Amino acid sequence: MAQAAQKLVQRLTTRGPQLLSAAVAYSKPRLATFWYYAKVELAPPTPGEIPKAIDSMKAMVRSFQSGRLAQLTVREALRNGLVATEVLMWFYIGEIIGKRGLIGYNV
Amino acid sequence: MIPPVQVSPLIKFTRYSALLVGMIYGKKRYDYLKPIAEEERRIEAEEKKKREELERIAKELAEASEDSILK
Repeated sequence: MAQAAQKLVQRLTTRGPQLLSAAVAYSKPRLATFWYYAKVELAPPTPGEIPKAIDSMKAMVRSFQSGRLAQLTVREALRNGLVATEVLMWFYIGEIIGKRGLIGYNV
Repeated sequence: MIPPVQVSPLIKFTRYSALLVGMIYGKKRYDYLKPIAEEERRIEAEEKKKREELERIAKELAEASEDSILK
């Protein structure tokens, strides 16, 4: 029994760091790629971009009023739907942060 | 590596405003639900106390009225 425990400890001390370094080696290049894209694609809008965003929102409303919605292709509509869904998911991430808990409302 | 896409300012803006609105909504809703749940827990505890008290009395009465020569 004691021998088995000793063996286990020995295995843990030799395999543990090995596994850890393997995990680091695996995730390092992937994280670098993630950061390379995230820095540009996930960045919050700069203050200069906000008026531009509001302008394009107005343009969108105008184009919908002039009947653009009926002229959308299925591909465009699908793409817009996906983008809208993504934005909605950001809302839920915000809700999770706001309620300070991942699962439900822990009241 | 493929250069990163320049995301439209509209999408960025709506993303981050959705995040902010979500944070505010989550906080508000949490603060709304918290006192309700606390009140419910309090009532539950009171009822449990009452029930246990009644059970104790019933048991005592039953023991007192039991016919036994072992008393």
